[in-house]
Amino acid sequence: MDELRAAVAIARKDIRNVSRYRFVVASQVFTPLYQGVLPALLFGASFAVAGRVVGLERTIGTADLAGFIFLGGVMSGLVATAFWAIAMSIRNEMEAGTLEPTWLTPTSREVIVLGRALGGLFWFAFSQIAIFAVGIAFFGLRFRPEIVLALPAVALAIVAMIGIAYLLAAVVLLIKEANFFIDCTNFLFAVASGAAFPVILLPGVFQPIAFALPTTYAMDLIRQAGLGTRPLLDPTLEYVALLVTTAIAYPVGLWAYRRADRRIRRLGTINQY
Amino acid sequence: MSRSYLAGDLRALRAAGLMSLRQIRRYPTNLMGTIFWPVLLPAVWVLMAQAYSGGGDPDALNAFASRSGTTGVTLFVFVGYLMYMWLSALLWGPGTALRQEQIRGSLEAVFLTPVSRLVPLFGPTLTNIVWIAMDLVVMGVAAWLLFGVVLSVQGMLLALAITIVGVPAMYAMGALFGAGVLRFGEIGPAVQFTRGGLSMLCGITFPIAMLPGWAQATATAMPPTYIVDGMRSALLKSAGPADLLPAAATLLALAVGFAGIAVLVFRWLEASARRSGMLGRY
Repeated sequence: MDELRAAVAIARKDIRNVSRYRFVVASQVFTPLYQGVLPALLFGASFAVAGRVVGLERTIGTADLAGFIFLGGVMSGLVATAFWAIAMSIRNEMEAGTLEPTWLTPTSREVIVLGRALGGLFWFAFSQIAIFAVGIAFFGLRFRPEIVLALPAVALAIVAMIGIAYLLAAVVLLIKEANFFIDCTNFLFAVASGAAFPVILLPGVFQPIAFALPTTYAMDLIRQAGLGTRPLLDPTLEYVALLVTTAIAYPVGLWAYRRADRRIRRLGTINQY
Repeated sequence: MSRSYLAGDLRALRAAGLMSLRQIRRYPTNLMGTIFWPVLLPAVWVLMAQAYSGGGDPDALNAFASRSGTTGVTLFVFVGYLMYMWLSALLWGPGTALRQEQIRGSLEAVFLTPVSRLVPLFGPTLTNIVWIAMDLVVMGVAAWLLFGVVLSVQGMLLALAITIVGVPAMYAMGALFGAGVLRFGEIGPAVQFTRGGLSMLCGITFPIAMLPGWAQATATAMPPTYIVDGMRSALLKSAGPADLLPAAATLLALAVGFAGIAVLVFRWLEASARRSGMLGRY
């Protein structure tokens, strides 16, 4: 119970911190729109024949360009939350000089990451609601009612990404200057999950990597439910794969994080950056 | 007297450029980004194009050609992203140089030296030319190795020429944003927003024909529009030197216009920063 209270307290602190910077809050909504969604929409629309993106229909089974791009944005946003809001925040604490005092509190180290996950997920939900509102109002974004059936896939993907965030936090604790590492891996992870295009278009050598990621299955299940896209695999098989990859990602991430914690305490490098 | 001042400024400019080169050498891991992003960013958009065109459906590609003037989607995207990388370097460059001096607490000291204000603004960013050339090589090789796109020698030379003609206009634009540091301190979000806006306006990732009329009209006042269009004409449409002359003339005119505005804005903001004590604050 105490650990849960600590996690909520960390989340509340993170939410309050971000809400103090209104430009940052606004940019969480507008940056994905003008850097990702709008250029992709206009690029995709430039292939439209008589107002219909026939090429996309041939690739995934639906010509709903807006739906394809906005749902891709959900997965990109979730991945970015794990990489930047959760894992990279450890680095921010390092630079601010507050990581060592935080480590000295009686709260378990795992809760430190979990609290950040709660805070990050709050802002993730906030920005997605705002982005969807813009999509519905201005870009004709519409989903099938069956999209609610994808909620278990979203929930599983969140659990998996918290596991990945533990793994990344371990890397941040060890390599310290992790900006380039997080930036690159965040981009590659989102791409390999099929956020921008179906993973079947990836070069052959990268496809096994894509199929090893829980987010690939979650992305496909969300698009199937919301847009009626052609599935990569049988949906039941995709749910099984999502469950298995999540069941691997979480404990492996936690194990790596605990190892990194032990290592930095043994070497005395917690206050280094 | 003015001649010796000019010689002194040139020496200071060279010293600032050398300082910047030395810093690049000290952090070799940063060089990884100069290979990663110029290759991966456009490669992802090429794969997006494959998804949107149904793997090269003739109707979809013809629709794209009717809006962009070419069916060469791969090169279209790579040239656009080349400009994106330059925009990043040039918009961030002068502003970041001033901002770093501000954060390190050395901006006040630099401004007390008798050199021209153009030295701290442009000196540290002279090395951006190195990045521009490197992006050009890396992306050319990536388009060839990953997607089998072979560029003609004349096309490459003309693309390089239009780039060189466009550099003053791009630097002038960068200086305009750099000056904003003196007034606002942290201009990162503003530069992000401007880069995103220019990316959409100037036909970097999609044809300008997709934009509404007012946005197309605005794009005609932006240097990147002419550079991207000139490069695409040279590389995709086999345009000759004579075809690119109007774009080159417009770029030079825009350079003069943007430089004039940048000098005025810089002087005004510097005077304001001196009055408000902003030089030493961040």
